[in-house]
Order: sequence, then structure tokens, then C-alpha cells
Amino acid sequence: MNMALLRRSATYVLLSLAAFISVFPFIWMALGATNKSNDIVTGRLSLGSNLLVNFQNLLAQVDLVRVFGNSFLIAIISTLLTLAVSSLAGYGFEIFRSRVRERVFQLLLLFLSIPFAALMVPLFVLISRAQLNNTFIAVILPTIASIFIIFYFRQATKAFPGDLRDAARVDGLKEWQIFLFVYLPTMRSTYAAATIIVFMGAWNNYLWPLIVLQTPENKTITLVISALTAAYTPDYGVILLATVLATLPTLIIFFVLQRQFVQGMLGAVK
Amino acid sequence: MNRIASRRSLMLGVALASVSFLSVAAASAGELTVWCWDPNFNIAAMTDATARYTASHPDTTFAVNNVTQDEINQKLQTQLLAGVSDGLPDIVLIQDDNIQRFLQSFPGAFVPLSDSVDMTKFAAYKVAAATYEGKSYSLPFDSGVTGLFYRSDYLEAAGYKPADVQDITWDRLIEIGKDVLAKTGHQLIDMDYNDDGQIIMMMQSTGQWYLKPGNEPNIIDNAALKESLEVFQKMAQGGLIKPVSDWTGYTGGFTSGEVAMVPQGVWITGTIKSATDQSGKWRVAPLPKLNDVEGATHYSNNGGSSWYVLSSSKNQEEAVDFLKTIWAEDVDFYQGILVNQGAVGSLLAAREGAAYKASDPFFNDEPVWQNFSDWLAQVPAVDYGTFTPEARLAVRAQLPNIANGGSIDDALKAIDAQLRQQMQ
Repeated sequence: MNMALLRRSATYVLLSLAAFISVFPFIWMALGATNKSNDIVTGRLSLGSNLLVNFQNLLAQVDLVRVFGNSFLIAIISTLLTLAVSSLAGYGFEIFRSRVRERVFQLLLLFLSIPFAALMVPLFVLISRAQLNNTFIAVILPTIASIFIIFYFRQATKAFPGDLRDAARVDGLKEWQIFLFVYLPTMRSTYAAATIIVFMGAWNNYLWPLIVLQTPENKTITLVISALTAAYTPDYGVILLATVLATLPTLIIFFVLQRQFVQGMLGAVK
Repeated sequence: MNRIASRRSLMLGVALASVSFLSVAAASAGELTVWCWDPNFNIAAMTDATARYTASHPDTTFAVNNVTQDEINQKLQTQLLAGVSDGLPDIVLIQDDNIQRFLQSFPGAFVPLSDSVDMTKFAAYKVAAATYEGKSYSLPFDSGVTGLFYRSDYLEAAGYKPADVQDITWDRLIEIGKDVLAKTGHQLIDMDYNDDGQIIMMMQSTGQWYLKPGNEPNIIDNAALKESLEVFQKMAQGGLIKPVSDWTGYTGGFTSGEVAMVPQGVWITGTIKSATDQSGKWRVAPLPKLNDVEGATHYSNNGGSSWYVLSSSKNQEEAVDFLKTIWAEDVDFYQGILVNQGAVGSLLAAREGAAYKASDPFFNDEPVWQNFSDWLAQVPAVDYGTFTPEARLAVRAQLPNIANGGSIDDALKAIDAQLRQQMQ
């Protein structure tokens, strides 16, 4: 009895410690956003009174509405298109049999291991030839067919009962109707989890937007934060405030979809 | 069939419409685009320069964009490699120790400014950094000319006068540092062992570099490097260095009043002066010099960058004329950026202006800018070559070991080996 209690409390202490370690950077970031740059540098860890000043300084340097608008536009369109294309592909890979199916899929998985930096120059040439330089389409297009999300949907589809599909067929549904009216609602939690993953990826994307977006009015929030840190004497209060603001959307989306996310990770169909 | 065709053209239309909706019109003709970083420094200075130019050339407009150093390197590299000049700026700022890589990898990508600008007007070492095959490509901008910033109150408390740190050697500075530490409890300097800035300042003061001209490593037989590392080791072993882990910690070490001295490039002045409560307590001496190395001087450099005109620019002549008119001739302009941004340019004539002649109450009313300007003209030139970043990484990897008392000869061998491996 005592032993069990001891073990239990040890578990809690350990978990609390782990939780503290993962949450601390966020607390530090939030507190930092309210402090002066000099206070942050000297390690002040309490709530400061500089939040409004930091906000004014940030507004003076950055057109927040425009920058967030750009980021949202890119992230939302990117998420919708990626989910549409990649879930369809994942579904197709699992449901429809073909002799070359596994080969093609293995090839895709192989492509996953190619670092983006290696693809960047040819991709840039491609985008420029298509006259898409400095457009949001150039940022969105290469992300739509996401191999990871295709893989993720294929794995999740393995749990999608064949009986359900057969029943739908007997009822006279066409293939696209089965996908839209049977598969899609059943896999809601998988979609929720994928939404978080894709949105976060699109929202935080840095290297590729950096290369293709050239004028200041097209910049996304990640590029702007990076520019803030480049000053010889950076204003850490302003940088941390911008980082807090940039973290909020993904945080909100995560909390809204939290339950589905956890379910999606466990598998959509029980 | 017809229906499918019309549906296709509809889709194409939608796609095209969204392309034009999402794209933003390219810069209008006659507008010069500039890429540089730091709104309080480079961008502010450049904006000031553009305002001066448009006053006499109302047809020329400018867009000064905030693009970080890393971003500039990344974007230039990608675009020059891809051969796509779309969206590249007319004028770009590049760090001095990085420019040879671009000049040598992409011949013809930059406009040789020495064809139209008299380069003898600028500090020779700045011009040398951007010279390749007999032509100079840069309009030299901010200098990293070094000085020894020190807290005169701490020195005084230990019984030293300003004259005692004037024109001394590093060994003498170590003696003073030990004394100051014993009497006041303040360590001599702070340093991030992941940054070799202190080492390169000592080394360049003798005209030596990590590489010889022609991109040959200059490590094992580099007497200046060896003595620099020895000085560093003596300081670390004597407890004179407060180790810090990053730039924030580094600047915090002296703005908080902890350490007594800052041997650094002149651009650190703004950060030092940001601690307004320490006004009048600081002074600046020339950098100490190395003992046993031939050609040792009190003058060196750390960091600094320069302006370049890209050959792909459609407004090349305007861009060159702008740099020539303002950056190579306008002495008044240099007074403004000195006062407002603390930017010390490389134009030697700038010292004739009023701001350069003024003394600074923060530094005990010393004529610091005249001093820096004197030193600027005497900094030994070095050839940064194309492998400076690799060399610096190899040196940094050995610094913690050296600080802990490790053998310097072994460290030099390890640096040489790592650098040669990287250069293959």
C-alpha cells in the first residue's frame, strides 16, 4: 500500500517536472513580452509593465494586420488544399488495389528522405519559369501534395471498415459519394489531427517563403520575426511579444481540436 | 465534349484570376531596391542616404527592405545558383568576411565599383576585403575598427590611471587584469567561448588571417594565431574571463557593470552607451598589441559590411551614381549617421566633419571618434578568402579546450585538420 503510494507520488513528481520543463519556455516567452529588453537580458522572470510599450514599438515596425493576413491566407488555403488532395490520395492508396501501388508508395516514402534544401534551387527555377515568383501560390503549391499526410491518411484508412464501404455501394453510392459522405465524416478526428499538423507546418514555414516572397508587403509572420532578431541590439521585449502573437493561432487551433487530435492519434475508428 | 472544354477553360480562368489576385505588381521602373538589416543601424543609415539623394534627384525613388544577413546569403545563393535575377535588389549589403565567396563563386554577378569610384578614399583594409582579380566591388560601409573600451572607475579603484592602459601589450593587460580582479572583484572581460571574435581581433592586428591568399590554411605556422590563443588561455586560466553563453549574455556582462573591459569593434559603442547610468565611467584605449609577432600593431577589425550593386539591376547606373554621390563623397552625411546611429563609416574624409571632431561626455570627454578614425586608416588588410566561415568554426571548436588549459599546439593541429577536411 505504502509502496504503491510512494511509486505514485514519484510518478507525479517526475511528470510535474517534465511538464514544467516543457511549459517553462512558454511562460518565459509570455513574461518576456511584458518586460523591457534590458530586464530580459538580466534574467528578470516576473510580470513587467512594458507590454504596451513593446506593443507600440512592434506596431511601429511591423504592419501587423497585413503580415498576419498574409500568414493566415497562406496557412488556411494551404491547409484546405493539402487536406483535400492528400487525404484523397491516402484513401486511394489504401482502398484501390493495383499492381504498382506498393512500389509507388515506397517511392513516395523514399522521397520523404530528400531534404528540402536539395530541392530548393530546381523548385525555384520552376516557380520563376511559371512566373509565380513573389506570389502566395508559389508558397502554397509545393506543400499541397504532402507525402507525410498521404502516409498518415493511408495508415488511418487501414482502420476504415470495408463493410461500411460495401454497404454504401449496395445502397448505390458512387465512389466520390462514398468518400464524401461516408469516409469523410467517419474520419473526422483524423482530419482534425491533420489540420493541426498541416496548419502548424504552413504557419511556421520559413525557408521556402523566405526564398520566394520578395517584397515586404508579402512577408509572413515568421519572416518578420526573423527580421526583428537581426538587429545588432535586438529589442527582446518586442521579439518575444511578436513570438507570443505568432504562437496564438496554432495554440487556439490546437485547443479547439484537442479532443479530436488525441483521438486522431489513437485511430479514428474504434 | 464541348461542356468539358468550357469547364476546363473556366477552371483555367479561375486559376489565372487567383494568380493575379495573389501576386503583387513588381517594383516600378526607376525605383532602386536595397536589401539590408537592422532598422536602427544599416536601414536607418541607408534611409538617410536615400533622402539626401532624392533631394537632388527627385526622379529616383528607393525601397529599403529589412532583410537579415542570413536571409541575404540564402536568397542570393539560391537565386544566383538558379540563374534567376527576378526580384533581386539593385543594392545589397554583405558582410565583409563573406563577400569573397560570392565574388569567386559567381563571377560577373556584381558591378566592379572601382571602375567608377576612387577607392583610395576609403580605409585600405575595407577595400581589400572586396577586391578580386584586381577590381574592387564594394562601396565600403561600416567599419569594425577595434578599441579597448574600459571602466576607468574600476581601474582607478585598483590604482591605475588611463595612461597605464595606453599602448600596452596583452601580457601587460593580463597583469593589470589580475590586479583589478584582486582589488575590485571585477573580471577583465566577458566572452562566449563559441565566438572567436577576440581571437581574430588579436590576429588581424598583425596582418595575419586563418587563410593565406589563394585559400591555403594558415594555422600551424601562424605565429599571430598561436600567440592570440596563448593570451586567451592565460586570461581564461587566470580567471579574468567571465564565460557567457550567447550574445545577450555577452552584452549583459558589461551593460550590467560586471566586467571591467570590452575589447571590441567600434559598433559596440551603441550598446555600451545604452547603459546611460554608466556615463562618464567609460574610456577607450587602442587595442593592446601582441608581444612576439612581427608586424604587431594596435589596430584591428571585427565585423563590418559593405554595399554592392548587382549586375542584374536594371537601374545599374543610377545605383552606382547614388553610392558614389552620397556614400563616397558626402562628408555631412557621415556626420549624421555617426551621431544618430553610431555608425563609423570607412570614408577617411569623414573625420573632417564636426561630429567626428566632437568629444563624448559618456567617454570622459575624450575625442573618441577622432581616435577611431586615426586607427581606422591603420588597420592591416587581410585576405578573407572563401573559407573564413569554416575556419572560424574549426577555431571555435577548440576554444573551450584551450580555456581549460589544453595544449595549444594540439589545438592548432586539430584546427588545421578540420579546416582542410572542410575545404575538400
